[in-house]
Amino acid sequence: MEYGLKPLGREKIWLWVMLTPTLIGLVFGTIGSLLATLVLSLFEWDLIRPPQWAGLSNYVALFQNEAYIKAFTNTITFALLYVPGVVMISLLVAILLNRKIGGLGIFRTIYFLPTVTSAVATALVWNMIYGKDTGILNFLLESIGMSPVCWLCSNNAMMSVVIVNIWGAIGEGMIIFLAGLTAIPRDYYEAASIDGANDTQQFFQITLPLITPSIFFQTLISAINAFQAYDYIYMLTRRGQGDSTVPVAVYSIYRNAFNFFRMGTASAQAIQLALLVAVFMAIMFWWERNYVVYE
Amino acid sequence: MKKNLFVLVIVSVLLAACGGTKPAETQAKSEVTFMMWGAPEEQTVWQAVVDDFHAANPNITVKVEVSDWDSYWTKLNTLIAGGTPPDVFAMDAPLYLDWQSRGALLNLQPYIDASPSFLEDVYPQTLSAYKVGNDYYGLPRDFQTIVLFYNKDMFDAAGVSYPTADWTYDDLLNAARDLTKDTNADGKIDQYGIWSDTWDMELFWSEAIWAYGGDIINSDHTKTLVGEGGARDAWSYIDSLYKEGVMPQPATSGEYGDDLFQSGNAAMTTIGHWAVPGYVQAEIKFGVAPMPKGPAGRATSVNSAGFVMSKDSKNPGAAFEFIKFALSEAGQKRLAELGFAIPVLKSVAESDSYLKQPGDLDQKVFLDSLEFAHMKPVFKGYEEWAGVVGDGLTPVWDGEAELNPTLDEVVASADEVLANNK
Repeated sequence: MEYGLKPLGREKIWLWVMLTPTLIGLVFGTIGSLLATLVLSLFEWDLIRPPQWAGLSNYVALFQNEAYIKAFTNTITFALLYVPGVVMISLLVAILLNRKIGGLGIFRTIYFLPTVTSAVATALVWNMIYGKDTGILNFLLESIGMSPVCWLCSNNAMMSVVIVNIWGAIGEGMIIFLAGLTAIPRDYYEAASIDGANDTQQFFQITLPLITPSIFFQTLISAINAFQAYDYIYMLTRRGQGDSTVPVAVYSIYRNAFNFFRMGTASAQAIQLALLVAVFMAIMFWWERNYVVYE
Repeated sequence: MKKNLFVLVIVSVLLAACGGTKPAETQAKSEVTFMMWGAPEEQTVWQAVVDDFHAANPNITVKVEVSDWDSYWTKLNTLIAGGTPPDVFAMDAPLYLDWQSRGALLNLQPYIDASPSFLEDVYPQTLSAYKVGNDYYGLPRDFQTIVLFYNKDMFDAAGVSYPTADWTYDDLLNAARDLTKDTNADGKIDQYGIWSDTWDMELFWSEAIWAYGGDIINSDHTKTLVGEGGARDAWSYIDSLYKEGVMPQPATSGEYGDDLFQSGNAAMTTIGHWAVPGYVQAEIKFGVAPMPKGPAGRATSVNSAGFVMSKDSKNPGAAFEFIKFALSEAGQKRLAELGFAIPVLKSVAESDSYLKQPGDLDQKVFLDSLEFAHMKPVFKGYEEWAGVVGDGLTPVWDGEAELNPTLDEVVASADEVLANNK
């Protein structure tokens, strides 16, 4: 199957000239480090001494490493809470902002702001919001007569961190869904309302089926983000000695690589995580073939 | 199409290869790079030391680079992995063996042998941390003992008499009860009796464990002892500080800043000399007393920051000259004036340069604490072990878990870390 315009004559040269910077970055940066990680996962390396061949022992050790299993379980839990949260809430926000109301631009900007703000800076603000003694959230709870909650203690930290991550991702999801929603022709709705379909029926019969490509895309992106989640978690849950209240897989990779100098273990963890993401994506694409409607 | 891609790859490889080679540099002067962690003010002070050194050694140029703790270690790792390590860099004694055992450090013994007398006046406790077998791969540059700091205004307001050298841990708890207050009457404590860091052992828990007759780790570093005998009593003492609410829980203390004594939210703290400049700047009226006594006597912790040299240093001779100068009377005097730490040179520590610093602080308390000080343990796998023990108990301090079962779990995981880091 071929489509698009074919480059002609001298255009071919320019095509390669323009692509070169990106390709160099891709070959040496992304693919290079990917291969390096793969190779390193078969060695023991502490950054200083020459790497030692380790075969698959780094992978085998992962299954006996309780700290990593815990971190990995946390990542799965995180993804199960985060992905549906992001998809549903950003779809809701997009639907609310897909109508002609005053100050639409302002609302869209507000919802998009977290996406363009530094995660480190917003995490500091969230730390204040979650504060046990002086936090705004507990202040509100207490003003309606409830007892304060320790939001970032081990019992609640997962929930609190998921909330912040969802909050940070709504903007991006909203943009995706808004694009999908505006692409649905208005006459579908007009025809439906002439036929007597109410708003709920219109949503489930028209909007939802026609927006499945966006839902698919957003679920995929959110899942990848969930497996890679790190910055807010690091900022909100890091304890005094560098451990985390809710260590996730990437946190464990970071600790092994840069705190404990176990590059081989960290690489094996990274590869294992990548494989998991790949499996997940395969499932998603199977789902796409069966359930996603393209016009 | 395929051919084009091939050409592209070749060109890219060549481009990348060209970037890597640098023309050989020829230098008449030897250049030494020195990296350390510290407060921005320390850059100025070390620059003064370096200027003195330049005056005495016109052929050597020293470049000092000071970064904060976290970025220091990141930078150092990157430079070493990239094959361009600094010649001299700062080392924290507990992490020293992790670096030494990985072969990153140069054996300094041959250089020490060439000028044997220069370590004679250095406090032996501070040297011991850097000795591996019969050799030194690092040398201490200053040391820190932990003492009890108290806020005079808060003690006066509460009518509690200042801590003395006779205080026990029970006296500390009693005073802390009287000093814990809700000063603005909003229903929440805003002045705690004591605040200290109970995740890193250096500031509070190692001192308490030793004073209660326990220990941290066995001598061949195969077994964690923090769950045994006196150590368990020390933990339950710490637990009572949290349970009685005289010490803020880790979950809340962060809301008041990094240091609650400095922010005026705690009447006492246990910390080292490095905190003094900050407290002076915050205009806190404070005094110091030795750590309290426990059932097994009095104990504190001593830790030394030091210098190490990279195995791949291009100018080891010149780099060692700089270390020697920093450990000389002239260098140590400069550092004493800085007020962050205690000089390792006995003659300077016991001279007016250290003892007569501006202000009315009793500097001798820090020095005299050496008599009953234990070395902060140095062993392989320290960082991971410290994470397991220090952070593993946080849920207990936050009131989410019971001390004894958590301690058992923590000790088991800590022993596993030791086994993996043999």
